[in-house]
Amino acid sequence: MKAIYGLFTTPELAQQAVDGLRAAGVPEREITIQSSEPMEEYEFGSRDRETIMPWNAVLGGTIGLAAGYLLTSTTQQSWPITTGGMPIVTNWSNLIIIFELTMLGAVFASVITLLFSARLPGRLPKLYDAEVSEGKILIGVSNPKEVAQVEHALRGSTGGVRKL
Amino acid sequence: MHWIRIERYWEGEFPEVKVKFRPVLCQQCDDAPCEPVCPTYASSHSEEGLNSQIYNRCIGTRYCANACGYNVRFFNFFTPSWDKPLHLQLNPDVSVREGGVMEKCTFCIQRINAGKVSAGIQQRPLMDGEIQPACVQSCTANALVFGDLADPDSMVSKLANSPRGTKLLEELGTKPKITYLQQGSWDDSQNR
Amino acid sequence: MTRKTDNSLTTDLLRPVLETSTKFYVTVAVLALIVATGFSTWFYQIYWGMGVTGDNWPVYWGLHETNFVFWIGISHAGTLISAILRIVNATWRRPVTRCAEVITAFALMIGAMFPLIHLGRPWLAWWLIPYPSERMLWPNYRSPLVWDFFAINTYLLSSLLFLALPAIPDFALIRDRTTGWRNWFYGKLSMGWQGTPKQWHRLESAMHIMALAIIPIAISVHTIVSFDFSMAVVPMWHSTIFGPYFVVGAIFSGIAALIIVMAVIRKTLHLEKYLQPIHFQNLGKLMLAMSLLWGYFVFNERLVTWYGNTPHEMAALWSTQMGRYSPMFWTMIFCNFILPFPLLTIRKLRSITTAVIASCGVVIGMWLERFLIIVPSLSYKGTPYSWGTYMPRWPELVIFGSSFAAMALLYLLFSKFIPIISIWEMKVGEHPQIKVAAKVQEAEAAGDLV
Repeated sequence: MKAIYGLFTTPELAQQAVDGLRAAGVPEREITIQSSEPMEEYEFGSRDRETIMPWNAVLGGTIGLAAGYLLTSTTQQSWPITTGGMPIVTNWSNLIIIFELTMLGAVFASVITLLFSARLPGRLPKLYDAEVSEGKILIGVSNPKEVAQVEHALRGSTGGVRKL
Repeated sequence: MHWIRIERYWEGEFPEVKVKFRPVLCQQCDDAPCEPVCPTYASSHSEEGLNSQIYNRCIGTRYCANACGYNVRFFNFFTPSWDKPLHLQLNPDVSVREGGVMEKCTFCIQRINAGKVSAGIQQRPLMDGEIQPACVQSCTANALVFGDLADPDSMVSKLANSPRGTKLLEELGTKPKITYLQQGSWDDSQNR
Repeated sequence: MTRKTDNSLTTDLLRPVLETSTKFYVTVAVLALIVATGFSTWFYQIYWGMGVTGDNWPVYWGLHETNFVFWIGISHAGTLISAILRIVNATWRRPVTRCAEVITAFALMIGAMFPLIHLGRPWLAWWLIPYPSERMLWPNYRSPLVWDFFAINTYLLSSLLFLALPAIPDFALIRDRTTGWRNWFYGKLSMGWQGTPKQWHRLESAMHIMALAIIPIAISVHTIVSFDFSMAVVPMWHSTIFGPYFVVGAIFSGIAALIIVMAVIRKTLHLEKYLQPIHFQNLGKLMLAMSLLWGYFVFNERLVTWYGNTPHEMAALWSTQMGRYSPMFWTMIFCNFILPFPLLTIRKLRSITTAVIASCGVVIGMWLERFLIIVPSLSYKGTPYSWGTYMPRWPELVIFGSSFAAMALLYLLFSKFIPIISIWEMKVGEHPQIKVAAKVQEAEAAGDLV
């Protein structure tokens, strides 16, 4: 079969199931967890926490800063006109454009990182149940090797263990 | 609206009423407040020091007119049209501005260019007083003097340095080019 | 310890999306008609020229620019509530964040229309976009209007992303609960969201970073809008106070708009359980703080002008205090300061109704404030011979009115397709964070864990 999963009504039961699966020898990567809200206060909901997103945001901001500086200073010199007695490259006022593009770069970099790391947009995987949206937590394994042990670990599932 | 206006101020009660008047036109400021605020460089500075209004670049934000402390910029709220044969009165050297575009006194840029062209053809420098904008030419009292401020020998340079000279709204820091000469004292015989 | 089923919450908050009444269609039709009138008036203005408005020498900016600043100001609602309260982890924000972010997005869109509406040649507005051309001419980066272009677009893009990202889990929720075209539509919008811990972490990281970024963006946006005025040497414009003054005024009017909108949707979408009096009270306290802050800035600005007594500025000042514009000025002081004070401070008077009354006053007062910043200064600028007056004409008033209809229409349509209260965030709110260790201990003691 393609997958076995269980739907759990409380995070405690879900934690129990994850611990059971680990004890049954299922590798971490193969345990699928899905929920309708973030479960960060529970251990099973706090994996995959590290992200390079803040660094990407800084990188995006730096790119935006460079882009803003280059845009303003080079284009102001392409047809040099002084206006109002100010210099041709007015860095004080260019700071404003540079600031906006820096922030835009940081925001775009964060969003792009999110889309890539969360694999969005993507297709809904085979192992998914619409009851997750009702508030249940899905714990499952795709292509399980030790079927009986997996089923035993998932015994706390509401309505029994489901199979795909 | 007219690009040059005569401002009139009345002082006193009848019958001792005095009127003071002063022609106000674009001051062609060195530090023009109308220039940095134009988003499309329609209001910009020419190399000769004039504040040029480039009609084709104007998108009509009217920021320059708000920034101008002298209120000498005018907006074409409508596209003007003249029924025939009144269209014949238009000067062929002056662009007709369409609606949505700012305009102002240009120091008769068409006459300046015509003067430069004819001097260039004759391969000689421009003479002082050769170019006369329309207002200077038509003033019957010779109250307006136009010339090259960069030339220290020109009449306008000498008058601009006169102790009778003041600038309009000088405190705004716009460095206007136009010098207004006040009434002189008895020993100002050298100056007009 | 079982989790209570969140079904009632989800059902309540999804009902506006899944069920449509005749009232909805009628309201949309009426609002669309008003918006269409606004657009036709704009095209009338483009065809005949700006002269159909009341703008004239020397007051070249009037109602259109007032509305521009007003709507950009309203757009600051979302940022304060959403971003700042998110960062300081104020839990009462949860039902309010999306309502506020929606106001920001649409107020920005409407506000950004007005720079186009006020142009003499709007078909050339694309010259503000920096692009290489054979003329080698780029926008003038010294101009505050170009700063506006960059700032408003940055803020708009960031706000739309800030609004769209936390909506993805809610789209997934609707996808799972519906069939037919809705299932397909929300399936596409949710982009395959499953709700794995990794996805949740990334989403929350992105929200956190964006909240941090969007606060300085928002402050910069209205500061830059204020630079439209303070960069010109015009009496009472050329003041360094304009930056913070405008930002405070924006947040002030934004909170007022938020309170009004929340009260309306509470009634029409039957969200009494979720938008509770405490939310209005808390927002009311914020609005009161902003009222005091705004009053401080107004007093500061005017005291300095009056004390300086420069002839350059006194005509403009006196016209607002005692002259032609004084009725508007004193109405503004009443609406922004005198009216909200008792309604928001006296405990007995605090209720949703009084908060809405105070907010309506603030919205009116802040519109008047924008008008009073722009028009009196332009009326009394330069030599006295060139002073002038301004009276709006019907095209400006129609466009002004239809901008409110546009806001209502966009908001209504949004609430039809996207839940106006963020469902997953409400769920998180109902189950507060608990320390993992304590939980494990508790479970072990109860014998739940094997």
